[in-house]
Amino acid sequence: MDLLLNEQQRMLQSTIQDLLRRDFSKEMLVAIDAGTVDVAQGWPALASTGLLGSLVPEEHGGVGGSFSDAGVLFEELGRGPVPGAHFSSGVFAALVLQECGSADQQSAHLPAIASGDAVFAVAVTEPEYGWERGDVQATAERTPDGYTLSGVKLHVPDALEATHFLVAARTGGESVGLFIVPSDAPGVACRTLPGLSTGLGEVLLDGVAIGEDALLGGASDGWDAFERAMLRATAVLSAYQVGGLESVFQMCLEYSRTRRQFQQPIGRFQRVQDHIIDIVNHLDAARWTTYEALWKLDTGRPAESGVHMAAALASEGYYLACNAAHDVHAGVGIVREYGLTLHTRMSRTLYHHLGSPRYHRRRLAGALGLQPGLS
Amino acid sequence: MDFELEWTPEQEAFRAEARAWIEANVPSIPDHPDPANLTREEYELQREFGRRLGAKGWLYPTMPAEYGGGGLSMELAMALEEELDRYNMPLPPYYDTGGKLGGIAILVWGTEEQKAHFLPMILRGEIRTWQLLTEPESGSDLASVRTTAIRDGDEYVVNGTKIFVGSSHGAEYSWMIVVTDPDAPRHENLGWLMMPMDLPGITVEQMDLLFVGGERGAASGIKNTVYFDNVRVPAFNLVGGEGNGWKVAGTHLEIEHGLLRSAVRDDPLTERVFDYARNAKRGGRPLLEDQDVRDRLVDFYIDAEVTRLLHFRNYAWRGQGKQLTYEGAQAYLYQKRGQLSKARAVLDVMGPQALVEAPDEWAVADGHVEVHQRGAIVDQHPGGTAEIQRVIIARRLGIGRDVREEPGRLR
Repeated sequence: MDLLLNEQQRMLQSTIQDLLRRDFSKEMLVAIDAGTVDVAQGWPALASTGLLGSLVPEEHGGVGGSFSDAGVLFEELGRGPVPGAHFSSGVFAALVLQECGSADQQSAHLPAIASGDAVFAVAVTEPEYGWERGDVQATAERTPDGYTLSGVKLHVPDALEATHFLVAARTGGESVGLFIVPSDAPGVACRTLPGLSTGLGEVLLDGVAIGEDALLGGASDGWDAFERAMLRATAVLSAYQVGGLESVFQMCLEYSRTRRQFQQPIGRFQRVQDHIIDIVNHLDAARWTTYEALWKLDTGRPAESGVHMAAALASEGYYLACNAAHDVHAGVGIVREYGLTLHTRMSRTLYHHLGSPRYHRRRLAGALGLQPGLS
Repeated sequence: MDFELEWTPEQEAFRAEARAWIEANVPSIPDHPDPANLTREEYELQREFGRRLGAKGWLYPTMPAEYGGGGLSMELAMALEEELDRYNMPLPPYYDTGGKLGGIAILVWGTEEQKAHFLPMILRGEIRTWQLLTEPESGSDLASVRTTAIRDGDEYVVNGTKIFVGSSHGAEYSWMIVVTDPDAPRHENLGWLMMPMDLPGITVEQMDLLFVGGERGAASGIKNTVYFDNVRVPAFNLVGGEGNGWKVAGTHLEIEHGLLRSAVRDDPLTERVFDYARNAKRGGRPLLEDQDVRDRLVDFYIDAEVTRLLHFRNYAWRGQGKQLTYEGAQAYLYQKRGQLSKARAVLDVMGPQALVEAPDEWAVADGHVEVHQRGAIVDQHPGGTAEIQRVIIARRLGIGRDVREEPGRLR
């Protein structure tokens, strides 16, 4: 029983904190948010730390670290919140490639993911948004030397940064395959969606011709394997949200001491205190369920229920904590340069990513055997 | 991180020894969903078992061996508790606030003579001890107590009324906070007394309450009003010195505010509720076909799990020597609020059958469900209301204040 970070994790943590101080100051993050600095500008700094290979095996140029180690890194990134394709490429795509890809596909792409030379984004969701097999409508038509992909992928994180997409498409009937698609392939068009979300894009696939070797694992149905990878990636995404929650909490705590109204710090008022206590409760519920889920993944324990619970609490918690933080900060909270809205936008953006809280709660029910006919 | 204990061969050997000893010594006592139904004979069996545990230092295994505790590590204590748990037996096996709360206050604040006198009888299970804090006019504002203990020669003379006290079947001792100097400023006017309960002038009267719970097997069952009418107690029994009662109370309140859970267990109610849901029908169809029902069961599960994890964090960090600040009150708040939302989820899922008391034939899970419906309401207040936990969290986090409040002394 040991609920403290180990020596190596404390080193990881301090390395990434140095990176954040140097390359992702609040001013920089606000500038990216405002669109005056391109998010891609931060990519070399992220790549230089090796964090993109955190979950890539050593034989493919990665670190081969544990999920808990990745959790430490992504929790720190979430504090920013540092935007960009670090999660999409270094975690989500890297895990999908490992779970679904052939040995050749893994050695062809994982080293480039780990080094940051390739940027992978996972293009699964569509206008009829969802993370279930049946939500995939895009099609992959068999051709003599490969496939033709057609469809619309929507709310795809980091689409504009990607050099490659992992695209889910129907290969016939209910079968869904995963395809590697270079973003510069003819027929691929990307744009970032305007609005409150951050970094989500549209990817149009208009008769995109790809070779036979683009199909992950050569499997016309790779959806079950994809879900296994998605489950693992989800726990790391939760850690990123925990970092965001921590940051929101610290902002509110600081503000409760320094902002004075009615001749006293606003944190002296119990109504203000209650908001901040709600935030720290969301934070710790998300934090400890996430840590336990990561530990279960690392130790080979059944992790399904733990991951789904953590994901539901992290997504809901981050969202609600931002609401409470806006109550604490009032007008100041909506000023871009103050920094709170970075989290507010991120909490909304990630709310549905890798499954909404409702998706995770319903999956949790299944994992607990709460389905008719399972008694 | 590691969310489980890894047992060494030496620890496994201890566990085997404990298992064999428990098997040979544990009494068989029926499970009472409502602890008020514990009979005098069953209580005597619990006490006898407690004395046998105490003789081995296993009643309060982590307390110092020189005073009658076991001097055991947290890991060995956890192994011991897990083995007892196989018999649904907590540690101590009956309601006793002597070793986990009052005893620690004595350990921190008592003189050597006081420790040598009081601790062995507590830790060996020779006495059972109640706590006397709340008064009719002093609930959340505990420092406003009015019961007086006025020095008269070598004795204090105690007068006043304490409520929400103890359990069924009496106690040999109590510990209490009292006013030793009615003229001193607030927080400096109090004393902390060990009170033998057989002194003349003490009257114990049972209260009529919705429910009284506590840890299973060691729940108190009932609460009492205790009247003190010119009770003369030796001055030796005042621990921590005159005027220091609030500081002494800070020690046991620190533990009571969320650090009281020892070994961490799954809540047995979860399986009971899930079992019901898996087997029940509505309109001839399985209840679990209803998506709302499945959603409410997940709400229930998450409340139980987060409460378990926050307590587990506190237990592990205490064992690892990490200073806790707001975490105790946070876990306690979550536990209290979690009980209420769990009770509502159960009521949603089961309907009014959740409200039927055992031994009626319609009671669910031998009455455990109905007892939980009552207990969830009652659990909101002991050890400080949910609002008081929020006040503690705010002060300890330093919301609106640059200097964070210090926790009570635990050593």
